Order: sequence, then structure tokens, then C-alpha cells
Amino acid sequence: MAKYILRRIVYMLITLIIIATATFFLMKLLPGSPFSSIGAKLTEEQEAILLEKYGLDEPLPVQYAKYMVNMAQGDLGVSFQYNNRPVTDIILDRLGPSAHLGAQALIIGTILGIILGMIAAIRHNTWVDYSSNILAVIGISIPSFVFAGLLQYYFAVKWQIFPPSFWEGPIYTVLPTIALMIFPMAVCARFMRTEMLEVLGSDYIELARAKGVKSTSIMFKHAMRNALIPVITVLGPMTVSLMTGTLVIEQIFAVPGLGEQFVRSINENDYPVIMGTTMLFSVLFISIILIVDLLYGLIDPRIRVSGGKD
Amino acid sequence: MSPVLEVKNLHVHFETYGGTVQAVRGVNFELNEGETLAIVGESGSGKSVTSKSLMGLIPRPNGKIVEGEILFENQDLAKLKEKELQKMRGKDISMIFQDPMTSLNPTMKVGKQIMEVLMLHQKLSKKEAKKRAIELLDLVGIPFPDKRVDQYPHQFSGGMRQRVVIAIALACNPKVLIADEPTTALDVTIQAQILELMKDIQKKMNTSIIFITHDLGVVANVADRVAVMYAGKIVEIGTVDDIFYNPKHPYTWGLIGSMPTVDSQEEKLYAIPGTPPDLLYPPKGDAFALRSNYALAIDFEEAPPMFKISDTHSAATWLLHEDAPNIEPPKAVKLRMEGMAKGAGGDMNGDVNNE
Ligand SMILES: Nc1ncnc2c1ncn2[C@@H]1O[C@H](COP(=O)(O)OP(=O)(O)O)[C@@H](O)[C@H]1O
Ligand SMILES: [Mg+2]
Repeated sequence: MAKYILRRIVYMLITLIIIATATFFLMKLLPGSPFSSIGAKLTEEQEAILLEKYGLDEPLPVQYAKYMVNMAQGDLGVSFQYNNRPVTDIILDRLGPSAHLGAQALIIGTILGIILGMIAAIRHNTWVDYSSNILAVIGISIPSFVFAGLLQYYFAVKWQIFPPSFWEGPIYTVLPTIALMIFPMAVCARFMRTEMLEVLGSDYIELARAKGVKSTSIMFKHAMRNALIPVITVLGPMTVSLMTGTLVIEQIFAVPGLGEQFVRSINENDYPVIMGTTMLFSVLFISIILIVDLLYGLIDPRIRVSGGKD
Repeated sequence: MSPVLEVKNLHVHFETYGGTVQAVRGVNFELNEGETLAIVGESGSGKSVTSKSLMGLIPRPNGKIVEGEILFENQDLAKLKEKELQKMRGKDISMIFQDPMTSLNPTMKVGKQIMEVLMLHQKLSKKEAKKRAIELLDLVGIPFPDKRVDQYPHQFSGGMRQRVVIAIALACNPKVLIADEPTTALDVTIQAQILELMKDIQKKMNTSIIFITHDLGVVANVADRVAVMYAGKIVEIGTVDDIFYNPKHPYTWGLIGSMPTVDSQEEKLYAIPGTPPDLLYPPKGDAFALRSNYALAIDFEEAPPMFKISDTHSAATWLLHEDAPNIEPPKAVKLRMEGMAKGAGGDMNGDVNNE
């Protein structure tokens, strides 16, 4: 098992190096100078000074080598916009609210979705099942920013139950969390329902019934675990889409998170910050995939063994 | 001696989009202590539904026992509530299913699946249950049971898994064991081993077994008595000798005739023509009449009652009525019957053709 994890981590590093290289050169391909958007027209002389200051006058391979070495040491360079603030500082500053919001939405959404899916499967073909199905379809097909807008309008502006924006305490997290968790909840509910129905129709559930096991024990001890295995596979992609969702949700609710910063940096051509954020997102994506795979093995003994053998 | 289990006039229906499927249409039989009763018949004849009704495992809400009694230890299982059935299942009556590859929970240790039933019905502690689970694995012939007890089903072969299922079924010393085609999914050699194991255990525990199969070769090997099922009814019932050497129902003739034996390999197998009736619209009269060469006019009008042939043997065919013409089984079937009487069956590992 340790060997398996180690090998996966090596693969992760290789993937990251490739992503870093690709982003670096893609950014170099972008037209124009990073300083063209600052506003004031720069003279050629001024621009040359700036280019030298940020090391942009050196040959490309040298720039690349420096960038990679610095990054390996955790230094993502300095921002073009915020008075030379290190990118790592900017990111760390912004990470807190994003992580909080994302984790909260993911955890609550997943758990509620799983419960909803189970109830729908148990009450298969009743109004409970039908209505949870309709809710799930709505949750999957309508993008989160629509919910965000609606929630903000009704619960913040019209009825004034929750604050409309900013990030100053638990109550401020309610609306953005709900807006963000609807999608994972709907996906989990649908998946869980399908899997649960499949599992409930399987031979081993019938054998459990033939053993005299109570219906509730059958649900929780026999069916749930088996139904969860395929659900875990969607957790990875779902988390990724949730992270993209935060980009917009943070804008709408003015949450001072990474997403809001990312959108701003793109508007301002602040390349070091864009790259740093991209790298962070990549690390997160890849780690999530690894964690999901490990989780999968933890819950499914068939995978655990083959994972341990190689 | 009073029977362990008595089924009287059992009717089971399923409500489907197409209408009401009359899966079981008036089944009667008794199961005596320590005996093996085989139920044979083509697929779709209602064998599994009959056996599931005995355990209250008919899928609800569309399936229902609409009529009849299942008498077991002075109570009618057909009238018990789910809670009472749960107490009985796995303890008094247990069941073995057809496909050992899918009948164990893939994410639960094999030992735990045995322990579960012990802790549930015999109120054993975890430790006692584990000890007993190891004993049971040993009893069903699984090597290294103390190691195997902590493994998962995917680490077992099909035959070994069926042994585990048998261990689960026998854990609480049930009075009745229902085996629904327990060897159909297995290789012939493994099949023989599992049959030996079941016979062995029956001798030790004196369990009554209902053995469902479509394989007459297996029947000759394990059963004391045989019930032949067709279109939701038992059409003939008797001892193994009654059924194999003196069959009276044309459907039983068909089954025996279509059974391959060693010395009949070259001969053309006798196949029952046609297909079983649609149980959405069961025919009036004898359900087999349309496929039978010996159908009488009355077969299309009125279903035959059970005619008693001897104390142990009865069959539902108008051919046994005193006014019916005297009809002999077809030649192919007679030959096979004689062959069996001579060579005590020879190798009778054939399938019923129409499966
Ligand atoms: N859950 C169900 N819903 C509808 N029809 C069913 C159901 N289970 C069994 N049947 C029908 O009942 C009849 C008998 O089936 P079964 O007992 O499984 O046959 P077999 O003798 O092969 O075991 C078949 O016609 C089958 O289609
Ligand atoms: Mg069957």
C-alpha cells in the first residue's frame, strides 16, 4: 500500500511539472506586454526597466529554469499589480474563505445528496422518489450562479434573512454555501438512487433477507456501502466542478476568496498570480483524484488487495 | 409422522404492467422430517416463486400470496407479519441460491456474513460467533477456516463460495433448507462435491431439504421424493422410484424422454414440443394439453384433479380417469426408463432440454 501511494505521488509530481511547463510557455505566447494594461502609457525605456526588474529580458530557457527552481522552493514570484507582493502571500491570504466555502458546500452537499438518494431508492416509485428526482434534475441542469442570484435576491434583499455579501462570520457563509452545494447534492442524490436500486435488487441482499436481517440493517450494513462505491468515483470530478463554481459564486457574494482574486488577476493580466493560482488548482485537482482513489480502495476490498499487490 | 412443512393450495400472483401473472396456481405438498423433496420443471414453472413464498420473500408490493396456507410448527407462514417472518428466516427455514458468485456481499468479510446470522438468531457474542463461524467453515469443507474467516468473497472460488452460503444457511440448524438450483451455476465436478456435502450434512443434522432443479440427473442423485411442476402447478408427485420408473403424466414423460443418458447419446433426444403457457393468461383446462400428444377433449375444458396412484404417488392428468383410454408412455421414454432400471441410471447428468 505504501509503495502504491508513493508511486502515485511520483506520478503527481510529473503531472505538475508538465502543467507548470505548459502554463509557462502558453503565457509567453500571449500577445502584448504584461504592463500594457497598467493604464499609463509607458515609454520604451520605462518598459525595459520593468522587464529587467522582473527578469523578463533574459532568454526564455533561463526564465523557465529560474521559474521552476523558484517554484520548487515554494516561491511563485511577485505580483505585477500589488506593489511586488509575493504571489504566495496573496494566495495564502485568499485561500481561507475559498477552502472554507468549498469544503462546507462539498461536505454538506454530498451527505445530503446521499441521504436523499437513499430515501428515494427506499421509497422507490412513490411521490418521495418522484419529487427528489425532479429536484435532482433541476439541481444538475441549472448553473449555480442562477441559484446564487435567486438566493441573494429573495433571502438577502427581499426578506433580509441573510446578509447579501461579504465574509464576516458563519451567517455570511449560508447563502454561498447553499448556492454551491446544490450541484453536488443533486449529482450525489441521482447516483446514490441508481446505485441503491441496483444493489437492493442484487442476490446478496436477497440472501441477507433470507438470513432474517432487519430491513434497516440491510440498508445500512449491506446496501449502503456497496452503493457508495460508485458514488465515490463522481466525488473527484464533482469537487473539480465545485472549484470552478466558486470562481463565480465568490464574485456574486463578494467573498474575498481565491476565485474572486483569480478573476480579477485575469482582468489585470497579472500573470504571476494567474500562474500561481493555476498551479494551486492543479495541485488540488490531482490530490483530490488521489484521495478519491485511496478512499475507493478503503471501501472496496477488491481494489484494496490489487492495490496492495503492486 | 406429521410433516415438517405443509403447503396447501398456494396461489401467488404478480401485478405487472401487462396484467396479473399467475405464477403459482394451487400448489400442494408436504415435506417430511429428514427427507429431500426435489421440485423439477422447466424454467418459469414457478419453482422459485413457490420457494420464496415459503420464506415470505415474494417481492412486495407487486407480488402477493393470494390464497393458501403454509403450515410450519402450528402456524401459517402465509399470514405472518414481516417482523415475525424475520425471526423465522435463517433460523427455522433457510435458503441457498443459484449463483454463488453474486449471493455473498462483496464488501463484507465472509466470517462476518456467517456471524451476522448467529448473532441475530442465537444471540451469540461476537467472539462466540466467530468461533462458531470457523467451525462452520470447517464443517462445509473449507481449508484453513481460521484464516479464511477474515477474507472477502472475491478471494474464494465459485464452489468455495457456495460452501460459504451453505454454512450461512446451516448456521442456526434450520429445520428446513431450501436450495434453489444450488449447483446449476457450477462445473460438473464441483457440482458433485456440493451435492455430496449437502447429503452429508443432511445426514448429520437431519434437515429437511427442498431441492429445486431442472436437472433430473441431480434429482436421481439427491432426492427421496419428487414434485414435477408445470405452469404454476404440481402435475405429478411421488417417490424417486415412482417418478422415474412409473411416471404417469405426459409432461413427466417429456422430461424423462429429453434427459440424455450415456447409452442414448446417439439417439435423437425426445423434446417436448412448444413452449410453456403465458401465465398472464393461463389456459383453461390442463395447461399442458396444447403441448401433449395425448390430450383428451376434456383437457381443454377442465383442469384435471390429482389422481391417486398409490400411497406415495399422484398425478394430475385425465389419462388416469377410469373412463380414459389406456395410453402407454412413448417408446423413447420407455427405453430410457428401462435403461435407468438396468444401470441404476448410469450417468444422469443431463439437463431438461427446454431450459
Ligand atoms: N417479480 C416478478 N414479477 C412478475 N413476474 C414474476 C416475478 N417473479 C417471477 N415471475 C413470474 O413467475 C413465473 C414463475 O417464475 P419462477 O418461479 O422464477 O420460475 P422457475 O421455475 O424458473 O424458478 C414466471 O412466469 C415469471 O415470469
Ligand atoms: Mg428459478
